Order: sequence, then C-alpha cells, then structure tokens
Amino acid sequence: MKIFNKISFILGDEPIEIDFSKSELKPTTTVLNFLRSYPNFKGVKEGCGEGDCGACTIVLAELNENNKLHYYAVDSCLVFLPMIHGKQVLTVEHLAQKNGKETILHPVQKAIIENDATQCGYCTPGFAMSMFALYKNKFNPTKEIVIDSLAGNLCRCTGYKPLINAAIEACSNKTSDQFQIAENKTVLQLQKISEVQLPIIIEKNQQFFAKVFSLSDALKLKKLNPEAIFIGGATDTALRVTKKHEVIPSIIDISSIQNIKYFREEENYFVIGSGISLEDLKNKTENYLPAVHHILKVFGSKQIRNLATLGGNLGSASPIGDTLPMLIAHEAVIIVKSLQATRRIPINSFIKSYRKTAIQNSEIITEISVPIPDKESIIKSYKVSKRKDLDISTVSACFNLKFSKNKTVEKIILAFGGMAATPVKANSAEAYLIGKKWELENIKIAMELISKEFEPISDARASKEFRIISSKNLLLKFFNDLKMGEI
Amino acid sequence: MSKSQSQNIAHENAINHVTGNSVFINDILSNTQTLIGRVVYSKYAHAKILSYDISEAKKLKGVSAILTYKDIPGKNNFGPIVHDELCLAEDEVIFIGQAIFLIAAETEEICIEAEKLITIEYEKLDAIVDLETAIKKNNLIAPERKIEVGQAEVTFSKSKNKIEGRLYVGGQEHWYLETQSSLAITGENNEIIVHSSSQNPTETQILVAEVLGIQSKDVVVEVKRMGGAFGGKETQANHVACWSALLANHTKRPVKIHLFRDDDQKITGKRHRFIIDYKASYENNGKIDSVIVELNSDAGSATDLSMSILERSMLHADNSYFVPNMKIIGKAFKTNLPSNTAFRGFGGPQGMAAIETIIDRIARALKKDAAEIRFINYYGINKNNTTPYGQLIEYNQLQKIHEQILIKSEYLKRRKEVDSFNSENEFFKKGLAITPVKFGISFTTAFLNQAGALVHIYKDGSVQVNHGGTEMGQGLHTKIKQIAAAELGINIEKISIASTNTSKVPNTSPTAASSGTDINGMAVKNAMKKLKLRIAEIVLADFNSQNAKVISKIEDIIFENDQILDSKNPERKISFEDAVMKSYFGQVSLSATGFYKTPEIFFDRATGKGKPFHYFAYGMSVSEVIIDILTGYQKIIRTDIIHDAGKSINERIDLGQIEGGFVQGLGWCTTEELKYDKEGNLLNHSPDTYKIPSANDIPEIFNVELLKDAPNPNTIRQSKAIGEPPLMLAFSVWLAIKDAISAVGNHKIEPDFSLPATNEVILLSIENILSDMKK
Ligand SMILES: Cc1cc2nc3c(=O)[nH]c(=O)nc-3n(C[C@H](O)[C@H](O)[C@H](O)COP(=O)(O)OP(=O)(O)OC[C@H]3O[C@@H](n4cnc5c(N)ncnc54)[C@H](O)[C@@H]3O)c2cc1C
Ligand code: FES
Ligand code: FES
Repeated sequence: MKIFNKISFILGDEPIEIDFSKSELKPTTTVLNFLRSYPNFKGVKEGCGEGDCGACTIVLAELNENNKLHYYAVDSCLVFLPMIHGKQVLTVEHLAQKNGKETILHPVQKAIIENDATQCGYCTPGFAMSMFALYKNKFNPTKEIVIDSLAGNLCRCTGYKPLINAAIEACSNKTSDQFQIAENKTVLQLQKISEVQLPIIIEKNQQFFAKVFSLSDALKLKKLNPEAIFIGGATDTALRVTKKHEVIPSIIDISSIQNIKYFREEENYFVIGSGISLEDLKNKTENYLPAVHHILKVFGSKQIRNLATLGGNLGSASPIGDTLPMLIAHEAVIIVKSLQATRRIPINSFIKSYRKTAIQNSEIITEISVPIPDKESIIKSYKVSKRKDLDISTVSACFNLKFSKNKTVEKIILAFGGMAATPVKANSAEAYLIGKKWELENIKIAMELISKEFEPISDARASKEFRIISSKNLLLKFFNDLKMGEI
Repeated sequence: MSKSQSQNIAHENAINHVTGNSVFINDILSNTQTLIGRVVYSKYAHAKILSYDISEAKKLKGVSAILTYKDIPGKNNFGPIVHDELCLAEDEVIFIGQAIFLIAAETEEICIEAEKLITIEYEKLDAIVDLETAIKKNNLIAPERKIEVGQAEVTFSKSKNKIEGRLYVGGQEHWYLETQSSLAITGENNEIIVHSSSQNPTETQILVAEVLGIQSKDVVVEVKRMGGAFGGKETQANHVACWSALLANHTKRPVKIHLFRDDDQKITGKRHRFIIDYKASYENNGKIDSVIVELNSDAGSATDLSMSILERSMLHADNSYFVPNMKIIGKAFKTNLPSNTAFRGFGGPQGMAAIETIIDRIARALKKDAAEIRFINYYGINKNNTTPYGQLIEYNQLQKIHEQILIKSEYLKRRKEVDSFNSENEFFKKGLAITPVKFGISFTTAFLNQAGALVHIYKDGSVQVNHGGTEMGQGLHTKIKQIAAAELGINIEKISIASTNTSKVPNTSPTAASSGTDINGMAVKNAMKKLKLRIAEIVLADFNSQNAKVISKIEDIIFENDQILDSKNPERKISFEDAVMKSYFGQVSLSATGFYKTPEIFFDRATGKGKPFHYFAYGMSVSEVIIDILTGYQKIIRTDIIHDAGKSINERIDLGQIEGGFVQGLGWCTTEELKYDKEGNLLNHSPDTYKIPSANDIPEIFNVELLKDAPNPNTIRQSKAIGEPPLMLAFSVWLAIKDAISAVGNHKIEPDFSLPATNEVILLSIENILSDMKK
C-alpha cells in the first residue's frame, strides 16, 4: 500500500495538503521557495541558498515520544517540501497575533525592537525564528547557549550584540504564548496525519521521490529504484539542487524513519542510529562521548545540526566531514543493511577514496557502533576553521591515547580530516609513538613525522603550509591539554 | 518631553521588520505577467568572444527574450564618473562575471535551463588578475595623485630612526543580506518605473535612460529600502537595474532580477585591496618626522569610483596624527577583475592601515607602549593642527577621547596584566591595542554635497516627507522623521517618510559618505522653514484679528506640542491641524521643496590642497585579544569604544551604527579573505568559504558609548555623521592581534603581518618568529 503524490502538514494552524500531481511544485522544491510562492509569506528570505546565512530560518514542530511538540529551527532553503510532511511549519508571519486592529507581538519580536536588534531588517525574520525556537526550548539560557542558537544566522548591520541581548531578554521572562495555548490542538492535528505511515510516492516530470517510514520500505524501494539516493537531513544533497541546479532523478527520504534515531548503550558499545540528528547526538553524547560532543558543538549551526544526520555525514564521505576523524579515533563500526544481509564495516575500511564509501547500492547505513572507550583511554577532538562557528574544517583531528602501566604509549590513534582526499591516520607518527614515553621530545619527533606524512592541498579555505603546520601543532596541543589536566 | 522631541526612538520600521512585513524588491507582489531576469556572464578574465549561439536557448518554452549588446536601444555603456563599462560585453570580455547576455523567462528554472543551452566560443587572452603584476606593468587606470607637505624625502634620508615596509591590505565583500535586486515595469510610450535596491536612485535613473536611449523624464526610480548596502549599491546597483530595464523594455512585461548569492559575489566589485609601500622616520621619543606612503589600489576592470576612493585613502593616510613632512602618492591600477567600488569607509580604512602600522612599528622599535607613541603624535589643539592637504583641524576631540578611554578601559592596568599573562604562558598570548579614528565628513567631490527634499502637508495635518536619501538600515528615515517632527513640533506618528523616488526629489546625490542625515536633514529642515513661515503668516493674521490691541509678531510664533502659539502670549494658540485647514482655506501652498548645500568645501586635486571636509568625526577603541599560537585561533576578550556622534539625534541608532560598523571592520581585519586563482576566479564566492563575523566573533565584553558634551556646530541639530567612521575602530583588534603575535618573540621581532589577520596569517607569522628565534 502506498500513497501517491500527496503530503500533509500544518502551516501555522492551518492544515495543508499538497497534491503534486495537481500543482507546479516539484518534490525537490525547497520549503523556502514554496513559502515564498504564497503572497503573504514573504518574510522568509533567501540570503544564500546554502544554509549559511539563516535568513530563511523557519521553525518546525513535531511530535516527540511523549506526544509533546518539539520545536526546532531549520534553514528552509535546504528542506525539500515532502520532508515537512507530518510537521507543523511556523514562519515569522505566525509569531504576532492580530487582535482586531491591534498587533500583539511575540516576546521575541518585542525584545528585538526594544534592543534595537534590527536595522535593514533583511536578516530579522530569520533571527526572530531562531530566537523563537530557543524561547520554546530554554528558560534563562546562558549567553553561550544563546550564541549557539544564533550562530547560524548572519547579520551584516547590527554587530550581533543587540540580537544576543534580545534573545537573553525574551527567554528570561517567559509567558505562555499562543502556540502553547494551541498545543493540544496542534498535537491532535499532527497525530491525525501520522496515523497513516504508508510510503508516499511522488512521481513527476521524470523525478521520483519516495518518503518512507520504515527501513524495510526504504530497502524495498531502493531495490526497485537502484539509482535512488537516500536523504537523511538533505543538508548535503539539497545543495545539488540549490547551487548546482541539478535535477536529482530519484530520492528516497528516510528522515521520517523514527527507529533509526537513537543513541544508547549496549554491552560494550554506544550504538547510534544513522538517522539521529547531529543536534540530538550532540546533546546525548555530552556525558558519554565528550570528544564527539565537543566536535558536534562546532559542527555547522543549530539549523544545520537539527537536520543533518550521522548517516548523512558518513554517506557524503567528505574529506572534511567532521564526524569521520572522530569515528576513526573511536574505532567505530558502521552497520549497513540490505534486504538480504547486515554487514559490519570497520570505519577504516568504510571510506574507500575521495567521497567513495564501501556501501553497496542495495545497502543503507543503519547504525554506527562505537566501542565504549575504556577508562584509561584519552580521546580528544579538535577543529581548525577560519571562523569559530558555522565553518567547515580546514583541518580537524581526533586523537585516542592509552598508556601502558610503565607510562609509555600503549596505543595511539591520530586521525585527521582536511589533510588528504579522505580522512586519514598519521601512521608513521602513530608507529613512532608506540612504546615511547609521552614526553615533549618524542612529541616533537612525531610532529615532524606528521608534517611529512601528508600532502594537503591549498584551496579557498587555507594554504597547504597552514594545514601542515596546524596538523602537527594539534598533536602538541593535545600534549599540552593533557599536561594541563584539561582532559 | 513630547514624543516629537524624544531622542531615542526605535528604528521607524522595526515593527515591520520583526513581523516580516517589510517589503524588499524580491517581495513586491507584482502581477503574474512578471518575468524573471538572469544575466549570463563571462567565465574568463580576458578573452575574445569568437562566436556564440543563443538560438537553442531562445526556442526553450517559457523564454521570452535573450538579449545581446546588439539589442540595447541606447548606449552600451555606463560607469558613474568615467563611462568605461559596457552594459553587455561585445566581442571581448575583461573580467569573470562580466555580463554578456540577458535572459527573461517565466521562471528562474527556465532561465537556468536556457543558460545551459547557450554556447560561447572564447579565445583566451592574457589577463592581469593580481595587483602585484599590475603594479609591475604600471597598468595605471588614471594618472597618479600626490599630496605633499614639508620635505618628506629629505627628512627621511637624513634621519637615523627609520622604518620601511610593504603592507598588504585585503579587499572585502559587502555581503549585504539582500543581494542586488531590481524590478522594472514599463508604462506608456517610453515610461518605465524601476524599483531598485540602489543607494543612488538619480544615477540609476540616468543610466537606465542612457541604455534605453530615452530621457531621464521618462524614468522613475523608486527605492523603498535596501537590505543592507554599505557602499555596494552606490554604483553597482545600476547594473542590475539597467539589465532589468532592458529586458522589461524589450518584452513589455515587468522583469525582476534578484541575484543569487554566488552570482552577486562573483559579479560585483568589492572594497579595493591595496599594496602600500611606506617609509617613515621619527625622533628618539617616537615623534614622527616624516612619512612617505605609496598607496596602490586594485581598481579592477573599470574606473567606477576608484579615483575618489583613492583620494579618500590619501586624505586619511595621516589618520589622527600630525606628520610635518609627508608625501602621499596614490595609484589605482587596472586589473581583469570586477570593478572595485565603494565600501563603508571609502578608502579611508586602507589609508589608515599604513600609518597605524608605522606607529605600531615605532613603538616596538623603541620598546614603548604604542598608546604612548600615538598620544604624542596626535594632532594638537592649537598647534600641529594642519593636515597634509592644508585643512585646519577644528574642535579636535582626540586628546579628550584618549584620556577618557584609557580610564574607561583600564588600559594601563590591563597592559600589565597582559604582559604578565604572556610571560607565564607559552602557548597562548594576549595582545592589547588602542587605535584612534579621525574621519573626514563630506563628499570629497565637492558638488555632491547637495540635497533636496519635498514636504507635503495634507489637509488632515499629516505630513509626508520626501528626501533624496535612501534607507538601507542605517536609520536615516528614522532620524529624518525625528527632524521633521521636531521642526514642525508635531507628534512623530503624523509623519511618514515616503520611498525615495526620483520623480519627487530630482538630481540627488548618492546616500553615501555618511552624509545622509547631514545633508538631507538640512534640506528637510529648509523645506519645513518655508512651510512654517507660510502657516505662521496665516496663524498670525488669525491671532491679530482676534484682538487688535495685542499684536503677535511672526518671530514669536512657535510650533510645539502639536500646536502653534505666540510664545509671548501663550494663550494665543491653535492646533496644528486647525492651522493647516486655515492655511488650506487661505489658499496657501502646503507643499514645499527644500535644498541644502554644504558650505565652504573645496579641494584642488592638482595641488592636493583644500578643505575637503565640513568637519571630522572622532572615535577610539581599545581591544584585548587572546591567540592560540598552535592554531592561529583568536578571540576578542574585550573592546571598549568611545565615539563622537556630536549631539546625537538618536542615540539608539548611533550606537547601532557604531557596533555594526565596528563588527564589519572586525570582519575585514580578521576572517574576511578574498582569494583568487591564477585564472582570476574568485574562490570565496559564497558564505561557505567567505566568512563574515557571526554572533560568536564579537568581543566577549563589548562596551560602547558616545562621547559626551560634544555638540557639532553648523550641522543638523548639532549632530555628526555616523555611518562610516566606526568601521575603522576595528584596527584595535587588528593591532591587538599583532601585539599578541609579537609577544611570542618577546616583542623583539617585528612580526610579518597583513590584513586580514586570518588564523593562517597569525599562524604563519608565529612560525616565522619561532624560526627566527632559533637562529
Ligand atoms: C551550512 C552547512 C554547514 C555544514 N557544516 C558542516 C560541518 O561543520 N562539518 C561537516 O562535517 N559537515 C558540514 N556540512 C555538511 C553536511 O551538513 C553534513 O555532511 C551532514 O552530516 C550531512 O547529513 P545529511 O543527513 O543532511 O545528509 P544528506 O544530504 O541527507 O545525505 C548526504 C549523503 O549521504 C547519503 N546518505 C544519507 N543517509 C544515508 C544512510 N542512512 N545510508 C546511506 N547513505 C546515506 C546520501 O545519499 C547522500 O549521498 C555542512 C553543510 C551545510 C549546508
Ligand atoms: S538562504 Fe541562507 S541559509 Fe537559507
Ligand atoms: S539588520 Fe541588516 S542584516 Fe541584520
């Protein structure tokens, strides 16, 4: 049983059904373009079309396990329309309420005005929505949390100080807003949509788009459409449409498969569902896998992490994919499934070459399993980028070190991103350090080995020299951090 | 205080902004006939176009027009001062991003499809894509300029304390959030309305008329607001406007162009990058006795505003310092890159970067704190107060601000703390710096210092104000509204500022040079003066007719609190509304124009002397940073700013301009890097790799205040221009970073340094110091 060409969602409080067979819309139309095609939704702005400016930020609400609404901000320029099926979509137009002739502003809107956090106004709707998502999730957030929530929005006018102050102010004296009052109704509306969990198939103008709710449906459809690609968060894939203007012929959307979104402990492993959002993973790893948590804190922006999945980061197999060095250092195992079989692929043999993985066409990544680091292992991750937030790594690294009883190095993994066509280990430095004392002299020799190990490229982000120097310096930084007892 | 006098109101459009109701060009609800326009541009920095084929593209369903230069009914060129830019390339392209064809189609997707069907055969020619080569080949775009005072060369050669060097200063992408946009709608005969995101509607109007081969009277350019501009829409909005106008004129349908971000970044010009060669000599105490600077700028492929920008850098090569013997050479070079253009500061920042470097180096050479060297070199109050171009500096605020900011920032105490931190930490270093700004206000092209206004008072007492300035977020309309309300003594709610429109106020200057409020505010005031006199006469007649024994005089009539009254006989009063009605029935015109020109401004380019500025704006900042010497990572711990806005018309808006300008400057000084490959392709053409500051990049502690008790004589409500000067306050961050790097070598080695100080520049500079120390 399948549903054809139809998706449903709630826009504000209004249920919307889209029948692709009867409209101009394509399954790869972005939510940004969809919203802007309405006359009264011009508040959602395009500033870049690539997830880097946040001008297009909207808030999605979906049901969580307890049937409560979970609100989160996303860049609508990266979301394909069928991905909002079963969700509530909120834009800046929904924030203020009309009471006759009077407009009652939402607390975040009031705070923006009172703090002079808007000048030209082009970024403002996006900021308002990021703040709104924060408002719905946090009471009295710290400045750090506020900045993290706003780092995915660019403003060229205000210099951010008033925006940060506005967010702090709005979230420090919360009252129940109209969304809270309407929550029960919204929950019922969403439950009604999600009662039916049949695959949705959209076929139009030589494009095939399937939205599935179970792994088995995903694999079955993949078998029927071998050329189809999976999308988890589509933060990588959407750029092919918005920037390269590709018409992607065939897509299987796995973002609504609930049972691949988990993080839990099982015997000697932490097991991570491939569909977990990186924001969720960031929050859940804080006390268990600090090095993972640390790198995810500087991964993209909140809007990106709310969409992006671990499976997607692995699937894109980018040489600068931030989770990869970390998975290498943790000696993770990638679990892939086809209709017939399940394979466990050690991370080291998972990435084959530049953007190529060991996954076969019939397979999907379902789980990443990370051996629970033993108490003696010291693992730490580093990211070097031009800007602190929302910037792709120039160089990233994750190190895993264990001492033997006599204080020599028993085991060491030095994994780097940005130094070659794939994430790589510094083999010669690793080999050198094994059995050695953890002393500056030895570190310095290992640093020299690292600097000879790689032939990185010069590109828009940085020069080859910079990459080489920072990669070897990261080892020294690790050494220093250890000495300082920071770990 | 009545609302009309209230100083500190929020941005007049804030409510629309937060609710998403503000209309930008891409949001205008145009009719279903509207076509989308797209520009097809050169992929080579320099090439001959041997042949092309647009026939397949033309056939595509949904394509309405594909235009080449042959389809331009008027002149195929533009350029604000020198007409040296083609609207569409003919048989040669001279930069990557140069427009060749224009497409109009039903949707953007069809435009993109059509573009893919166009073929162009090029023959690649030699190109100059870096400034160094242009300098080597002496590829000047215009004759060099010079400003000279005293005997710089002689003094330098005789002096025993000398420094010299070369400084690389990078360009900057404007990164206005709203990319270049325009919507053109044709009317009867030749009429055309262009909604443009332009800082310079009059020039947009002229150029649209020229490319269409019609007269200015037939073209209306309207600017509601811009989603940021920063100089990037002073001349370069014209291109998009002309392209949409050509397509609209051809198809007789509305045509909208809203550039995609990457296209905008590739096509449009940037802040000019500079290579600056400098020499300076100084006395034993650190007082500068000579400076020779050669400012070499990368103009790009056309003149645009490059010469005015170069001029402003030359006029700011002294920044805040008295240099008795100074020679400033300015050269602008032609390269095969998009023509560089205005950007907040307009050359001033590049000019100042050199002298700030000189001071910093003198301090290091003398092992003194740079704050001290700055202080002894500031322009004096009664002496040492003439600039190299001969302008006397009046109302100098430098000493006052310097003293205040040292206290406010606890500079001396923190200097000690920084030093002790640095002696205790090997891998993290802190740096501290204070830098001043003295920025000249006025267009250096004297005739631009004029403005017009048109004010209508309607029968219900509401007032519409039109003026030549454009709103780009800077709060100009808010301030004008306040000025208008204060002049008429009425509630601000009764006033609206209309979209800037060339049919309301003609022949305007661009909203630039920070002059928006200064000149347009004055023009509005002058219009109000006329209206007030007319209304006052009616009111006077009315008052005096009531009781012939008491005679009210015209000079006693005041407009206040929504009333008009005789200040000598305050019981004689009438509400503003009633007075307006009386005036109407008295057959008095309730509409007036206003005009203003800035007095006494002149500059002789041949001699390099004059009084190019009406006045100067001052400011200072102190910044402290920490750097990680292993990664080049930097963080701003604290910044303190004191800035002179005269008697502020609106403190909230002025503080916003200072903070925003500073952070924009901070981006230029740190993370905003433009890299080109050997072919002249811009590598950082999207926010993926072009990094403007985000919320996490601003100083952790960020204290900003206005200089108190500093009214500015001779300007609108004694205020000062605020748009540009704060950008240059960011030099304190740049030099604090240098100070931190310098600490790696215990301040004994002069660090390699350039602008922007990216993590890469920082790390490589540290590497050099470390290897020098090993020697
Ligand atoms: C603004 C911005 C900032 C970014 N910042 C970072 C950053 O800091 N660090 C970083 O590493 N990356 C960054 N990225 C890249 C991207 O967000 C990540 O790679 C992300 O993890 C991709 O996940 P996704 O689920 O969105 O991928 P998708 O686009 O859904 O998928 C990416 C690829 O993986 C495949 N795939 C997805 N799920 C599976 C699966 N379960 N099984 C098999 N194949 C699968 C897809 O077919 C596709 O080829 C950024 C991207 C943007 C737009
Ligand atoms: S438009 Fe910039 S993030 Fe979506
Ligand atoms: S207010 Fe202009 S970009 Fe933020």
